[in-house]
Amino acid sequence: MNMKLELYGASRDFSKESFIIFNLKEKSTIKELRVAIINFIEENFQNNENYKKIVNSSAFCSDKDEIVNDNYKISNNEKVGIIPPIGGG
Amino acid sequence: MLHARVVDISKEKIELLRAEKFIASSKCGASIYFVGTVRDLNNNKKVIAMTYDSHDALVVKSFEEIYQSSIKKFNFDNSVVFIEHIKGKIKLAEISILIAVACKHRDQAYDLSRFFIEEIKKKTPVWKKEHYEDGDSQWLEGNSIQKK
Repeated sequence: MNMKLELYGASRDFSKESFIIFNLKEKSTIKELRVAIINFIEENFQNNENYKKIVNSSAFCSDKDEIVNDNYKISNNEKVGIIPPIGGG
Repeated sequence: MLHARVVDISKEKIELLRAEKFIASSKCGASIYFVGTVRDLNNNKKVIAMTYDSHDALVVKSFEEIYQSSIKKFNFDNSVVFIEHIKGKIKLAEISILIAVACKHRDQAYDLSRFFIEEIKKKTPVWKKEHYEDGDSQWLEGNSIQKK
């Protein structure tokens, strides 16, 4: 299945677009998405450790604008936001 | 009563006058305005501008949740809160966040204003990218809001 990862904050450096499309197996979880993003970084950014650190410390936000945990099952064509560590104000 | 919004700098600026109109109430005897701006130095590097990125829906949701928490925590009568956070690239001294509160008494207004900015720092999905004099730029580190 395809899903769209929407990029925010430091994760915007992962792509020139504001999102990345991933092809995952049906009913994949956030935990599996995290692995897919790490693989993407290893392939496209020479294993950039800073980028991997961002992924491992990020939260994820569902289509319904809710922060979800690693067991959350992603739906086909769902848009999921990656929420790196925050620091506004 | 709460006003909560993300302001896109490409369309408009954060204006104190809007906050002043919103929080004006004859039931309140004290108002506090917290204004966050971009400063020129961070970690010994000269900053010339800041880009703010935000997940708009989550930002507004977090402001509403912080407001609900404040009601539970303080239980102040007739308090009014106005919050706007900027999105996009702004220059030195421009406003990034405005929190205006009005309460019956001054100690309540100080408590509420401080509560909001501290909670926003911990819970609101906004990110800052500093732009430096030497042409370099960098996303600032923040607090993880991972749900275990």
